[in-house]
Formats: sequence, structure tokens, C-alpha cells
Amino acid sequence: MGCKLTHNPQTHNLQPTTAMNFRSWFRPFEILKKEHNIALIVIWVVMVVGYWFVATSGEKKLFPPPEKVIEGLQALYGEGLVVHIASSLGLCLKATLISVVVSLFFAYLSPVPFMRPVAIGLSRMRYLPLTGITFYLAMMMHDARSMQVGVLVIFMSLYFITSLLGVIKDIPQEEIDHARSLKCSRWEVLWEVIVKGRIDYVIEVLRQNLAITWMMLVTVESILVAAGGLGVLIKNSDKFMNHGRIVALQLVILLVGLGIDWILNTTRKSLFRYSKI
Amino acid sequence: MNQYEQKDTILHAENVSVSYGEKTIIKDINFLEQDTVRPGKVQGQVIAFLGRSGRGKSTLFRVITGLNKPTTGSVLIPDPTKKPINGKIPAKDVAEGDVGFVDQKYTLFRHKTVYQALIYAMRNSPLSKTEKHDKIMRYLAEWGLEKSKDQYPNELSGGQRQRTAILEQLLSSGHYIVMDEPFSGLDIGNILNVKTAFKLINESHDLNTIIFSTHDIELAVELADSLYVIGYPRNAEGKLETYGTILHHYDLKAMGLAWHDGFGAQHRELAEEVKKALLAS
Repeated sequence: MGCKLTHNPQTHNLQPTTAMNFRSWFRPFEILKKEHNIALIVIWVVMVVGYWFVATSGEKKLFPPPEKVIEGLQALYGEGLVVHIASSLGLCLKATLISVVVSLFFAYLSPVPFMRPVAIGLSRMRYLPLTGITFYLAMMMHDARSMQVGVLVIFMSLYFITSLLGVIKDIPQEEIDHARSLKCSRWEVLWEVIVKGRIDYVIEVLRQNLAITWMMLVTVESILVAAGGLGVLIKNSDKFMNHGRIVALQLVILLVGLGIDWILNTTRKSLFRYSKI
Repeated sequence: MNQYEQKDTILHAENVSVSYGEKTIIKDINFLEQDTVRPGKVQGQVIAFLGRSGRGKSTLFRVITGLNKPTTGSVLIPDPTKKPINGKIPAKDVAEGDVGFVDQKYTLFRHKTVYQALIYAMRNSPLSKTEKHDKIMRYLAEWGLEKSKDQYPNELSGGQRQRTAILEQLLSSGHYIVMDEPFSGLDIGNILNVKTAFKLINESHDLNTIIFSTHDIELAVELADSLYVIGYPRNAEGKLETYGTILHHYDLKAMGLAWHDGFGAQHRELAEEVKKALLAS
């Protein structure tokens, strides 16, 4: 009797795995079903939280135990955590709006030969140390809140311009030629291909850069303690070595940041149906 | 043999050359195409350029479309804005947008739906808003794009994308359309789509002129009524030069090979001859 040829699902390693096959979780480039991916995330979260509980149950501990963090969170809430979050978000929003306007101005004008050196020069300035800049800002600005905004705007804009220049550079020549062949003047090409044609990329670039800004918040908010904000809270907690509060604040900052990230990503996808970045 | 008559000049390249620094890409390009008129039939022109890779076809196309200025020479087309002198329309140097250009990727505005793209292509047209709408809707129906009118390029199939790119250029530039390797990488269905598009363009106006390049010799012989072979010429010592120029011109109308539905023995003979010319260039 001859051998039967049977279909071996293992050979189709780039197809979504249908049955719960644990070996597939360890095979490079394996495409898993949604349930498998969710299961993997849950397993990792459980492992990390479990490790947290175990690692903080003994006498020597690197991290504060979960109950300390919850206590810290409750204390922070009592001290007006929501107001501080609002203050941080307000600062971030104000700085973001100004820096978006400034960055778009220079990035959009970068295809104009006269303006190109300015845009490239600004992008290179990102290697400049922030300490030096804050010194001159302190001399120029009279109130600390403006100084906070100023530092964030400068910091954000340099990175924002760099990313936007990258987006513009990646536009294929075919798209420029296509617009030109449709009788577009050079300014119309700029408007249609770069400004309108890449508006969804602006949101994406903003999303990527906002993560850096959000991380910068702690440093910048420490310039003016009276204005409040998450940075001030973390600084005060740090002063008194209150580890529970510090970790609680870190988690709050992380969650708010992820929230902003989600809002921007959802906005891009819902506003621009054609956007597949 | 099909009856036809050659009327006014529609495209004239005179001593065109393109160089970048010391490097000459194309040189001594000369050709002239006339409006072909067939009794009782609307007949546009289909001009094919064949040449091996790197012989300067794309460079020549960029000059014909006005996207690049030639280093020497000029490409002339009739200027419809001028009054005819002795019954002839004065010529002008081709400018950006006079000649439509469809690249092999069928590039479209990524942020415009099919309808928005076509409306934009007609933005300089003197027609009223309603007339523009009606014209676009008529074209969309003829080209099988009615259902895709509100879709973005990333939501279109390859065939729909091709037709939109061609239509966009037709509505914007008028009678001339240059296609750089429109059959490259297409499956049999999409090749048929493009061939149908050629037919639709050709039969919609006498002055409509398609200029295309391809590596498919049989397809070029089948579709074109005028065929140019572009390649490296040989110098006095018999060695190949390193710039492209027109080496052969086959007028398929005069040869009785244009406007045939089938691909006969004579077409095959010509394809064989073109193949030899390409290999020698």
C-alpha cells in the first residue's frame, strides 16, 4: 500500500495559525491569530506583575511593593493629581501648538532653495545641549511659565523639523512629476503633494515626537514649581525618597502618554481614510 | 491597405540632446509626427519607442512632457491659443502640463478620490462646474470607473488605478499623453485594460496622440502606427557610442500594418527586424 500524502499545516508558516499551537509562538516570522496575540500580551502582563509581587515580598527590595504604589496613588489623588495632570497637559498642548506652527513653516518651505539651509541648519541644532539654551532663555523671558513653554518649543521643534524633513525627502519624484504634469505651478506642487498630500504624516510625526516631549516634561516642569504639574509631583516625591509615590506617578505619566498616543493615532486614521502609515 | 491622409504636424523634435555635465544621455533626436486622418473614422495616433534599458527613453519622455528642458534643440507642438497663419497653427515649445505623463507606477494624488482627482485635473478648464461634472461622469461610465468614483488610490485595484491615471492626464493635458512603460509588470487582464484604454483614447479625438515605451516588441508592433527604435549608434570604427539616439523609424501606416486587429505574418517579420535592431544597439 502506498503512502498517503497529507496536508501539513506546519509547512505554511506564514499563514495565521488556527489551532492553539504553542510551538508556533516560538517560530520566527510566525503570523498568529488575534486570540493568540492577546493571550501572549496577557501572559507577559501577568508575568511582570507576578514578578513585581514576588520581588517586593522579601526584606530587600529594589521596587516598592504594589500596596505602597496604590497608597501613593491615593495620596496623590488627594493632593490634586487631576489638577496637576491638567497643568502638564496644558503646558504640553501650548508648547506643541507653537512648535507645530514653527516646524511646519520651516519644513514646508524647505523645498525652496533659499530656505533649505535654514531648515537643515535648524534640524542639525538638535545636537546642541539644552543647558546652554535655557541660560539664554532665562535672560530673555521674564516669567517661568513662558520659559517652560520656550524650552519645550525649542526642544520639540528641532526634532519635529528633522522628522518632517525626512517625510518630505521620502516623497517619490514620481509624485512631484505627476503634479507638474497636471499643470501645477511649483507652489501648487508644494501645496498638493507636500502640504495636503502628507498632512496625515504630520500627525504621525507629532505622535512620535510627543513621546520624547512627554519624557522631557519632568525636567521642564521643575523650572517652575509653583505652576504645578506631574514633573513637580515627581520631583517632590523624589526629594522625600517616597518610592511608592514615584512609581505611582511614573505609571500615571506612562498612561497619560499612552492615552495621547492613542488619541492621535485614532484621529489620523479616522480623519484620513487613505492614510496607511 | 487602410486609407489615410497625413495632415498638420502635431509633434516635432529638433536636434534634441540632454547632457548632465560631461555625460550625454541622448543626442541628435529628430522626429516629426503628423495628424493622421482616416475617412469616416476618428483616428488618433499611437507612437511607440523601443529601446534597451539605459538608452534614454525615459529622458526623452521627460523632455517631450516638458518636465526636463533639453540641453540643445526643442520639442514643438501646435499652440491652440494662437490664430492659424495660412491655415496652419503656429508651433510652440512644449511646456510642463502640455503633454500628459503617466509613469509606470500609475502615480496619483494619495489624498484625492478618483472624482476629486479628475475635478482637479480639469481645474483650468473653461467649462462650467456642471459641465465638468457631466464630462467626468461620462468618462467614468465609459472607462468602467463609476463605482470607484469616491475611492482613494489605495482602495483601487491596479486596473482602476491605471485608468484613473490615464483619464486624469487626458482631462488635464488635452490631446497628448506619454506613457512610460505602461505594460511593465502587468498581468494579462491589466494589459488588456491598457489596450482598451488606448483604443478609447484613439477613437475619441483625431488629435489624440499616445506616445509610449515598452520592452514588449510584439505589443508595440501590434498597437503602434509609428515606431521608433532608440539605441546607441555606432561610430566610424564600428564601436557603440554611449548616448541614445533614434536609429530606426517604422511607419506602420505606410507599411500597411497599422490598425489591424490581428497580428499577422508581416507583423511578426517586423517584430523580428526590430528585435535585431535592438540587439545591435
